[in-house]
Amino acid sequence: MARLNRMRQTRYLPPLVLLLWGWVLVWSSVSARLDLLLNAVFHPVVAIAGVVLLVLGAVQLRSAPRLNTSLAPLSWLVSIAVACLVLLFPPSPSFSDLAANRSENLPEAPRLSFFLPPEQRTLTEWVRLLRSQPDPNLYAGDPVRISGFVLQRPGMQPQLARLTVRCCLADATPAGLPIEWPATADPQPDEWLAIEGTMTTQTKDGLLINVVKPSTITTIPRPERPLEP
Amino acid sequence: MTRFATGWAIFQGLLIEALPFLLLGVSIAGLARWLVPQSTWIKRLPRHPLLAPIVGALLGFALPACECGNVPVARRLLASGAPLGTGFGFLFAAPVLNPIVLASTWAAFPDQIWLLWGRPIGAFLIAIGLSALLGLLPESSLLASALLEERRLSQPLSRVGLLERRSGLVGVDFNASERRLEQVPLRPAELLQHSTREFLSLLTLLVLGCALAAAVQTWLPRSWLLALGSGPTVSVLALMLLALVVSVCSSVDAFLALGFAAQVTPGALLAFLLLGPVVDLKLAGLFTVLLSTRAIAITAVAASLFVLLIGQWVNLVLM
Repeated sequence: MARLNRMRQTRYLPPLVLLLWGWVLVWSSVSARLDLLLNAVFHPVVAIAGVVLLVLGAVQLRSAPRLNTSLAPLSWLVSIAVACLVLLFPPSPSFSDLAANRSENLPEAPRLSFFLPPEQRTLTEWVRLLRSQPDPNLYAGDPVRISGFVLQRPGMQPQLARLTVRCCLADATPAGLPIEWPATADPQPDEWLAIEGTMTTQTKDGLLINVVKPSTITTIPRPERPLEP
Repeated sequence: MTRFATGWAIFQGLLIEALPFLLLGVSIAGLARWLVPQSTWIKRLPRHPLLAPIVGALLGFALPACECGNVPVARRLLASGAPLGTGFGFLFAAPVLNPIVLASTWAAFPDQIWLLWGRPIGAFLIAIGLSALLGLLPESSLLASALLEERRLSQPLSRVGLLERRSGLVGVDFNASERRLEQVPLRPAELLQHSTREFLSLLTLLVLGCALAAAVQTWLPRSWLLALGSGPTVSVLALMLLALVVSVCSSVDAFLALGFAAQVTPGALLAFLLLGPVVDLKLAGLFTVLLSTRAIAITAVAASLFVLLIGQWVNLVLM
């Protein structure tokens, strides 16, 4: 306890906490951790904030001997502990868990991509396109080359899905495509797959829907940028 | 365990996204304190119950940040002796009435002109309503105790006694001493030290708010909220609850709302865009540096009621 109080009284504590949080932000930017957490629009903002905190911390560290001492609030120690935990334990979310908890109302595309050849469309672009066009027959027979994670919802066939994010993981919204899984396939939730095949149509509950019929299914590692805008 | 890992990732996402805006807010509050002497403009701010929150709200155009960045600036305003109405007007409306948020709302809903007008007008109305309501409480039971003490140091003795100030000397001409104090510029090192302490204290509260928001998001299925139907009242309530839980920053919430705009009533959509910047789980901790627990509870309940009424009215007119 005495050691804790001595630590709280040191003039170096505030600049050191600033440096720690600055390092958290800069490290998150450098280590590509942000790709898993935020929309790319915010990445430079986080990096700049990290550098600013590092500079402010360093400036204060130099002038620390001349600063007034006052007991740092105990709550700062909580923030130090959290910063250390953030550095030690990188995010490792279950995309299936995130998706299972959300509605499927996709945000609008940030750019129009409907003119891309079918085999160049990403999974999200396919989902947006199919939702905007009422006639599934329009795309029957188109070649499909997509990648995503296996999304398993209770009582439903597994889909191949991606998460779209406008701000951060808190607003992640899933975009999923139904797949006609071959009998030999055993898709596991959260497994990342690349699928090549053809877009087909099937009738489900009296409705005509598009379903991807795979010709090849390959297990792939999680992409560096798994979130889509 | 998987659930916990997902919650941990949501927590990091919320925190890392909000942290730069908190830094921006503290920096602006510090710079304002350094560059602009308090007496020159704080004392000229209007005290009129209607005009004060409107002026406070319009100050938002000087700070293009979301609600996290606004808290330190609002605290600096109130600590410097600004009228309560101006401080609250800024706190509650500026997260909406700033260029970035208005531009993002326009970018997300370019074809819904009513929303582009409705959001800022609604923010004005809520700020005026909350300021009037909170103004009924005496300052001593309205503001957080540390803020109250700081604020009393910058109020004239005609309104605050020496005992209430907890500082000062009997027999000293306070007007003269205040003038002297105002003329002494704050040294940059002192300013930096003060702003650092403020930033670190707010950061801890932000951490707690993000942890709360991430926990609720992880264990409360959001689809339940959106599945609550399209009834004019239920949909407004559901989207208000969603705004409370999601806690995304006001500069991007319009894009999030776009995702479910087609499924909900217009009033519910506006309610989502109005309530989030005023009350959400992420802000719960940050507000404790400004308001007493009682005032936070009143703010949360009253803001929800105002938003519900506005949402209902919009549904009545547009549906």
